[in-house]
Amino acid sequence: MLEILILSLLEVKNLRKSFRMRDSLGRTSGQLVAVNDISFHVKQGETLGLVGESGCGKSTTGKLILQLLQADAGQVFFSGDELTGLTSRQMRPYRRRMQMIFQDPFSSLNPRMTVGAILREPLLIHRLAPASQLRDRVIELLEKVGLTAEHEQRFPHEFSGGQRQRVGIARALAVEPQLIIADEPVSALDLSVQAQILNLLQGFQKDHGLSYIFIAHDLAVIEHVSDRIAVMYLGKIVELTNAKELYKHPQHPYTEALLNAVPTPDPDHPRPAALSGEIPSPVNPPSGCYFHPRCPYADSICRQQEPQLRETDMDHLVACHHTDQVGRYRLT
Amino acid sequence: MTMPPRLDVQNLQSFFFTRSGIIKAVNDISFSIDPGETLALVGESGCGKSMTALSLLRLLPEPGKIVGGEVFLDDRDLLRLPDVEMRRIRGNDIAMIFQEPMTSLNPVLRIGEQIAEVLRLHQGATKQQALKQAAELLSQVGISDSKQRLRDYPHQLSGGQRQRIMIAIALACDPKLLIADEPTTALDVTIQAQIMDLLLELKQQRQMTMLLISHDLGIVAGNADKIAVMYAGQIVEAGTVKRVFENPLHPYTQGLLQCIPRLGQQHDLPTIPGQLPDLKEQMTGCLFLDRCPGPCAPCGNQTPQIKEIEPDHSVRCWRY
Repeated sequence: MLEILILSLLEVKNLRKSFRMRDSLGRTSGQLVAVNDISFHVKQGETLGLVGESGCGKSTTGKLILQLLQADAGQVFFSGDELTGLTSRQMRPYRRRMQMIFQDPFSSLNPRMTVGAILREPLLIHRLAPASQLRDRVIELLEKVGLTAEHEQRFPHEFSGGQRQRVGIARALAVEPQLIIADEPVSALDLSVQAQILNLLQGFQKDHGLSYIFIAHDLAVIEHVSDRIAVMYLGKIVELTNAKELYKHPQHPYTEALLNAVPTPDPDHPRPAALSGEIPSPVNPPSGCYFHPRCPYADSICRQQEPQLRETDMDHLVACHHTDQVGRYRLT
Repeated sequence: MTMPPRLDVQNLQSFFFTRSGIIKAVNDISFSIDPGETLALVGESGCGKSMTALSLLRLLPEPGKIVGGEVFLDDRDLLRLPDVEMRRIRGNDIAMIFQEPMTSLNPVLRIGEQIAEVLRLHQGATKQQALKQAAELLSQVGISDSKQRLRDYPHQLSGGQRQRIMIAIALACDPKLLIADEPTTALDVTIQAQIMDLLLELKQQRQMTMLLISHDLGIVAGNADKIAVMYAGQIVEAGTVKRVFENPLHPYTQGLLQCIPRLGQQHDLPTIPGQLPDLKEQMTGCLFLDRCPGPCAPCGNQTPQIKEIEPDHSVRCWRY
C-alpha cells in the first residue's frame, strides 16, 4: 500500500457519492448513487481514461477528486496528502496543482472578460507572476496553445469552438498543474479540430510530465490518449486495465459491448452490434450485477450476486462472474 | 439504372443575407438519390449540410433564402410549388428527424397525441383511428407496452426512447424520403447502434429513400450507399461509400479519414491545419486552398468544378 502511495500522484479509495432525489413537492423520493465505492490511482505522467455512458458517474468522479463535491465516504490522496475533509482554505494550495478542462468551451469562459483577463486571473489569484511580467506570461501561454499575442484583447465570442477550447487549456496550464482532469474536452468539437486538441494535450504531457484524468464517452478517443482505462457502468468501475489489454482482451461484457458499438469508418467492417435494452436508472438499479439485464452472458448467479472487482491477470481488474467466457461476441 | 431518381437536386443555392454580408451557406449543390437508396451528406459544423436539408423542405431560417436551383421529388419541382402544396409534402412525402429529440417533441403533449396529430392532419384519420395507429407505430419502433406509453409525456422517456418516438412520427405517413439530421449524435454509443439498426430495418421494410446527415464517418460507412462530402457550402467529393472510403481523392476527405482515432491504433493523429474560411468574403479559387497540403498552380485563381474521375466517383479539385 505504502509503495503505491509514493508512486501515485493521485489515489482514490472507496469513493462514494449519492444524491437525494426529490419529487415535485420537495419530498425525498429516492436516492441516486452516482459513484459507488470506486478506487483507482494515477501515476506521475500517466493518463487514466474514465469511460462510460451518460449517468455512469464519470463526471461526478472528477468533481469529487477536485473537492468540488463532498464525498459521502472514501478518501482522495494527492501526492500522499489526504484531501477529503479539508476546508476550502486548506484546499487552496492543492487547487493550483490540479486543474480542470471542461466539455463546453462556450459556457466555461466568461463572455465579459477578454482572453487576456481570463488568463491573468489564475496567475493573480495564486500570485504566480509579478505585475510587470503578467502580460509576457499571458502571451507565452497563448503561444503555447497555438494562439497569438493579438488574441489577448479579444472576447470569447470572437473565437471558434476549437480556439475557445485552446483558451480553456491555456487557463488550466497557467498555474503549472501536475494533474489535469479533462471532462469530455473534445466531444463538442469537429473531427479535424478534435485531432488538433488531442495532439496539443499529448504534447504538454510529454513536455511537462503532466498527469491526466481523461473523461469521455468515446472509446476510440479514450483508447487513443490513455495509458490505463477504467470502464464505468452505473457508478461502478467494472473493468480497469491498460489500454492495449482492454482493447485486445476485454474481460467484462460491457467493455466488449462498448468496443463492438464503436462505428468503424470502413464500409467492409461489420456494422456495430447493438446491445439490447436501455441503461437502467441509477435510482433503482437492477439486483445482483447491475449489467445483467443487458448482458448476453448473464445467468442466475448474475441476478442474485453482485460481482466484486478482482484481479484476473496482472494489472487487470474486472467485476464479472463470467470473465472466462467474455470475448465470444467480439466483432473484429 | 433506368429508374428516375427519387430526389434530384440541381445547382441548389441558399444564401443568408446578413447585415455584415452575404453568406453562401449552400453554394451550387447537386446530387440525386435513387429510390430505396441512402445518401450521406458529411462535413463539419458550418459546412452547410443542415442548411441543404432545410432548403429541400423550404424551411430555411431567416435571413436565409433559396436563390437558385431545382429540387425534384419524383417529377415535382419543390422550389416552385405553392405554399399550400408544399405543406402537404412536408411530413407526408418527406419527413425529417432531428438530432435533439427533446427539443423537437412538445413537452406538454402526451406522446400519443403528438403521433396522432400527424395522422389526423395528413390522412384525415379520426382521433380513435389515429391513436390506434399510433400504438402500432410505437411497437414497430421497438417500444414495448405501446398503449401505456401513448399516455406518457416526453420527459418520462429516455433519450433513446424519445428518438424512437421521433422516428414513429416521421414514419406515420409512410414518407417517400426520410431526412435524418444527425439522428444519433445526442445518444450513448450502445443506444446509437440500436437506433441505426432500427432505421435500417424500417427503411428496408418500407423501401424508403434516405438522406442521412452526419459528421460521423463511422456511422456513414455502415449505413449509407452513397456519400457527398461538403466543405464551405460546396460538395467537394461524391461517390459510392465504397469508392470514397477506399480511395478518397480530395485532400479534405483524405484529411478527415486520417484524423479519426481508430480502436487498436495508437499513433499520432494527423490533423488538418487551419480552419474553415469566412464564407462572407468574396473568394476566388479553391475554398480549401489555405488548408491544402499540396496546392497546385490554378488553385488560387480558378474555382475547380466537380468532375467525374471514375464511375460513381467525382471530386472538386485541380489535382485531377
